Amino acid sequence: MSIIVNLDVMMAKRKISSGELAEKIGISQANLSILKTGKAKAIRFTTLAAICKALDCQPGDILEYKTDR
Amino acid sequence: MWNDCKSIVLSKMCVIVFLILLAGLAVTAPLLTDKLILISRSDFNGTKAYFLLTVYTGIVPAGFLLVSLYRLLERMKSGQVFIAKNVGSLRQISWCCFTGAVICLISAFYYFPWALVGVAAAFMGLIVRVVKNVFARAVSLQDDADYTI
Repeated sequence: MSIIVNLDVMMAKRKISSGELAEKIGISQANLSILKTGKAKAIRFTTLAAICKALDCQPGDILEYKTDR
Repeated sequence: MWNDCKSIVLSKMCVIVFLILLAGLAVTAPLLTDKLILISRSDFNGTKAYFLLTVYTGIVPAGFLLVSLYRLLERMKSGQVFIAKNVGSLRQISWCCFTGAVICLISAFYYFPWALVGVAAAFMGLIVRVVKNVFARAVSLQDDADYTI
């Protein structure tokens, strides 16, 4: 069981770069990279809310649940 | 004003003092053994070689222990506290204690008070082992915290 972060897809749709998004949501580019590459172990609601506001999307647009088979 | 940094420096100085004492023991062991045999009321005939064997085999784990302790303190001073290397150092320290305990317990066959030293060393090894377990858990928690965005 795992949660996939589809941040890249939404960033491409909104045509926003990593640097811009990191600045908008108030986290470092390194932390944004951790999120994008699926290395994050948890995400704060405040961060998720800031991402959704910056990308004008819903949490379900960037988070996906996949079972490991 | 006393602080963590000064505390670590003090600990490092104590480790260096112990290393110097250990080196001194290595050099003066034959002399000290002769003095012990001279002043003791027990019958130590033919045990000088055993004493020297105990001391010199015990110096090896003691030396490793002090070096591991010094490296652990160096990393802590540089801000690296809950990392896998420190867990490794604590594991090495506990095994050095247990090795010393085994050497002392074997030496108790010719001089019983070594058993007391052995038990103390084993107890210290156990305490360090528990601290190592705590550190390992802390590394895992630190990892979770570092990767919470």
